[in-house]
Amino acid sequence: MRWILFLLALGTGFAHALDYHLQPRQIADGVWLLEGSTDNFAAENGGNIVNIGFIETADGVVVIDTGPSRRYGEALRQSIEQTTGKPVLRVLLTHHHPDHVLGNQAFAGVPIAALPETTRLLAEQGDAMAENMYRLVGDWMRGTEVVLPTEEVQEGTLEIGGTRLQLLALRGHTGADLAILDERTGVLFAGDILFYQRALTTPNSPGLDVWLADLDRLEAMPWKQIVPGHGPVTTDAAPFVQMRDYLGWLDGLLRQGAEQGAEMNELIRAPIPERFAQVNLSRYELIRSVSHLYPRYERNAMGRVDRQD
Amino acid sequence: MDWRSLILLALFAWAWEARAAAPDPVTSVMWDYYHQRLLNGEAFVFDDKVRLEVPPFAEDARQVPIQIDASAYRGKVKRILAWAELNPIPRILDFAPGEHLEPSLAIRIRVEQATPIRAAVLTDDGVWHIGSARVEAAGGGCTAPSVVRAEAGWEERLGQVLGKRFERGEDSRLRLQVSHPMDNGLVGGIPEFYIEQAELRDADGQVLGRIELFPAVSENPTLTLDLRGDQQTELWLRDNNGNEFQAAF
Repeated sequence: MRWILFLLALGTGFAHALDYHLQPRQIADGVWLLEGSTDNFAAENGGNIVNIGFIETADGVVVIDTGPSRRYGEALRQSIEQTTGKPVLRVLLTHHHPDHVLGNQAFAGVPIAALPETTRLLAEQGDAMAENMYRLVGDWMRGTEVVLPTEEVQEGTLEIGGTRLQLLALRGHTGADLAILDERTGVLFAGDILFYQRALTTPNSPGLDVWLADLDRLEAMPWKQIVPGHGPVTTDAAPFVQMRDYLGWLDGLLRQGAEQGAEMNELIRAPIPERFAQVNLSRYELIRSVSHLYPRYERNAMGRVDRQD
Repeated sequence: MDWRSLILLALFAWAWEARAAAPDPVTSVMWDYYHQRLLNGEAFVFDDKVRLEVPPFAEDARQVPIQIDASAYRGKVKRILAWAELNPIPRILDFAPGEHLEPSLAIRIRVEQATPIRAAVLTDDGVWHIGSARVEAAGGGCTAPSVVRAEAGWEERLGQVLGKRFERGEDSRLRLQVSHPMDNGLVGGIPEFYIEQAELRDADGQVLGRIELFPAVSENPTLTLDLRGDQQTELWLRDNNGNEFQAAF
């Protein structure tokens, strides 16, 4: 009986310890980052696997993505106010994936802006993605619901509180991917167009060729520092180099597989080149990407063989 | 010896006996049921020489690739059955490879939840060799709304076959995908409508292999067969509404 009580106490103790311990790190003048791990969603990390940023302007703060849960969003808003002492003026969402937008609830009353297609995709897939997050990270998600953006943004320059942001509308990761460059500091928030040291994900990708073309446009921006959607910040082009290498390898694997008649189960066990040893979760994401992308490669490699009489 | 020691001893003895039989590699509570229902309780052995490949988890529960390879028993295989033990529609296929086909096959299936998958291979000595695997899944693949039916003009594409023959040394791999919704009757208001028979024939119409399909098979079914030699083949398909489709490789 005493053991049972002890275990119960232990259990409830964990239940109360759900705290993201968010520590904003200043990466440039007026620019802060909350860096998540490069792991997968898990009950141990509460879904905090993502990079979230905020930029201080003269009048208030611009937030880039809101995190994986209501609890995260609330902690984020609190840490922004503690760090800057200023109100949040605007939220910009890079894309509709759950780890980037499910903290939206904490920003009620603040305009939440995204590309129009991002809003459409979130309206279509948000509830199913939130449900899946409950399954993956459990209690951290309590009370989390999908909140849709309230404003549209387009590619071009956006001025908020005297701060000029260059917005780029890309497509490679989800079909609607916003990248944000802070002109003054040269910090580039690349969203999930860039993964670094963490395998990229493809559930909504319109195609790896589209993604590769996006990389050229993004790299041509006048950036000084890169914040990838997942993985460490850099001041050099290493994330671009790794992304091109990885996308090229994945594309080649799937293309060759389709040309040689490979089965999905053969491809998910394909060797992963040694140079990607530093890329976290590459096997796991290969299994997912084969499921997402291989059917298109297969169809391209096959032709009509039915008798049409 | 007091009564407690006796009970302990009995428990040990029972556990020992349970261990004596070859253990089920995926410890499924449904094994006995399917052994009786699908294999008539006939002699069997859990056998890792029957290779059954599945992904560790179902990224898309509506399209889970499974691959069966019983080439270790080449020339001795009479039938291959496959099923997903915790599916509402468990049966996947019943394959009789003739002498010109390898006892191997790949197909995609729907799973409703995480489940053990089996490939039971009957050899000519009357023993079922059981290949086993388990796939994790968030689930819902059997009751998800049809993707095919949401596409405009799917009726016109019904029975279209995309395919290709791949040379593999002296042999050929045949891969194909058939446009068909494979309705399993579990989605509200849509009755069963699925391809139930497939035959691969040679140029003279002689049957090289027969496959009976069940609606655990994914919509727009994909199928891979390995053919010995390089002769021309024809594929014949029939669905449960009597539509027949033909293709030539």
